[in-house]
Amino acid sequence: MDNEVPLPPPRRLRHRSPARANPSAPGSVASSFRKSRRLSRFDDRSSQPSSDTALFSSDDVPASGLENYNAPVSGPGRKRRYRGTWWGEQVQDPKRKRADFKEKRNVDSGVWMGSDESVAESLLTSEDSPAWGEDLLKTVLDPRASGRAPTELPFLRGPVPIPAPSWQIVANGNDESEEHQFARKVVNDCLEKGEESIDLGNLNMKTLPKDMVQSLQHLTKLPSMREPPISENAYFSLQPFLRIYLPNNSLATLPRELFELKDLRVLSLRSNKLTSIPCTIRDLTALQVLNLSVNRLSHLPWELLVLLQKGELKHFTPRPNPFLLIEDADIVEWHRKPNEIPNEKDSNSYDDDDNKDNNDEGDKELLQSHVTFTEYEGTPPDEAWAAIHVATGPIILYNMDGKPIRNTQPTRLAKAQQTPSTNAPSLRELSLRALWKHPGLDSITEEEKLEFPSLVIPLLSLAQDVRADGGWYCSVCQREFVSRRAEWMEWWDCTPHENGMKRPRASGEKMRPLPFKRYGCSWACVPDSQRVD
Amino acid sequence: MWHGPPSRHVYKPVEDRRLRDLHASTRTSMASTISEYVTLVSCDGFEFIIPRSAACVSGTIRRMLDPSSKFSEAITGRCTLETLTGIVLEKVCEYLLFNEKHKDQANVSDMDIPPELCLELLMAADYLDT
Repeated sequence: MDNEVPLPPPRRLRHRSPARANPSAPGSVASSFRKSRRLSRFDDRSSQPSSDTALFSSDDVPASGLENYNAPVSGPGRKRRYRGTWWGEQVQDPKRKRADFKEKRNVDSGVWMGSDESVAESLLTSEDSPAWGEDLLKTVLDPRASGRAPTELPFLRGPVPIPAPSWQIVANGNDESEEHQFARKVVNDCLEKGEESIDLGNLNMKTLPKDMVQSLQHLTKLPSMREPPISENAYFSLQPFLRIYLPNNSLATLPRELFELKDLRVLSLRSNKLTSIPCTIRDLTALQVLNLSVNRLSHLPWELLVLLQKGELKHFTPRPNPFLLIEDADIVEWHRKPNEIPNEKDSNSYDDDDNKDNNDEGDKELLQSHVTFTEYEGTPPDEAWAAIHVATGPIILYNMDGKPIRNTQPTRLAKAQQTPSTNAPSLRELSLRALWKHPGLDSITEEEKLEFPSLVIPLLSLAQDVRADGGWYCSVCQREFVSRRAEWMEWWDCTPHENGMKRPRASGEKMRPLPFKRYGCSWACVPDSQRVD
Repeated sequence: MWHGPPSRHVYKPVEDRRLRDLHASTRTSMASTISEYVTLVSCDGFEFIIPRSAACVSGTIRRMLDPSSKFSEAITGRCTLETLTGIVLEKVCEYLLFNEKHKDQANVSDMDIPPELCLELLMAADYLDT
């Protein structure tokens, strides 16, 4: 590469710091390119890359006081140079040449700093294509523009000679898809500017890169720089009001890192391909707005209901989604007293009709009465504002191998076999929990798994799945568990929390209950009414 | 009662154990009552004496000890578990007593299981049906 570009003649005027170079000035690409080359040649100037430690000169030469700093230094003693902090007292080895350092830097450290514009410029191989570099610079500075039309990227247009190693720096060390690169740019931009609203919509992403989501944990607002006089409201919390918008993507799963963002207040997952929401959503205690509309959800996690009831979540948009309808589901227990059913007259009049029809009609009306809110007059009761438990579905019990026992008959059988429903976890569950907490679990690959006894392989996979989800919690006793022993559906009506409608239920309003799925860690962790003792 | 870690147990050669089994069987048949304690024996000869109720937490041991089965284990009150080593069986016995003790309590912290025993315990749990 040294032979490709002729070296510019040494210039008399030197930039003292890289910040002084104006990247938007015309021809700046070429000049800063030269600058970056110069940087590597004159390592002992003050215009060093910011990653180098600071240099200090010693004041032990008597003639070099503050008063006569520019006076020529007499004698053989040049000022000694210190590298690092002034208290470190580490004399820089003058024999250590830049060449060593250069060799070291050829290895990609994997760290790409968004502010380092020289990275984009270093892609430039010849001065013939400055427009290309400027385009890329533009995408770095304004990622939204490229996000709208990803196909118009300059590097897709024609064969542009791209040196492979420098390209990898931009792509963060691996072959990433375009969408992820854009998302990364947006996120890096937000991190740099302290922007709390992260818009990653319409990118057609299938997954979210874990490290990208994780980096958002460190997002901090920038303090505002204002001219004096500084008023009181210049001081504000630097804790971000984090908002993540991911509408119109193709996400089928969410990384657990997303649920580790404790500051997340607004999360939009509209128009994705999610089939379930992990129960680790319970960790997002600051969440205020959640949009799950237009996904493939058939049920919601029970933990979300806890956020609705006890958390900050006030603006919840679950519909439309292909939720399991209460009309189609098996209901074991209704939790609301049915209103008065005007049924007797009906049953008399339909006496001669087909019995089955009559029953269906009756069922329908019974259901209607269950999902109708109490009629009231005057001020709405407290109940009109809260989430209401409407019904509970049948419990599916699982045996110790994690296989479902479909009907309730085996529980009677189990009772006969003297295995009472206890809270105590099985030995299998205990060892799985210990395994799940073991940090080496993630590093077990599929090939290595084959060497284990065949019995253990599915259990190992289960533990790994749970680990990927960030842990499952029993919805009754709140303990962490690995293999579920019971699951059931509960229907709750959350109308006052939905769509930000801050109003109570109207008198006699028809409720639209949502299905919430609950998991139990043992056969004792089930609703009391269905417990077998 | 469960009598401490296996280090305290005297390793008995196979011949001796057989002899002892013989004595034990004659003794129980003479007493003709079901003992409150049972003995679990590992493949390398460690013996653990634990309450019958605790041992019956395991489905396999429960069926072994079922008096109506007329298995030799049921008559002698002595189960030889050929697939389990002494180290694993020690942990299994700890679990059986842990389960017995905390059966109906909530908010019990999990028993401590060293990671190197996890996989062997998974296998043992499958064998013992617990």
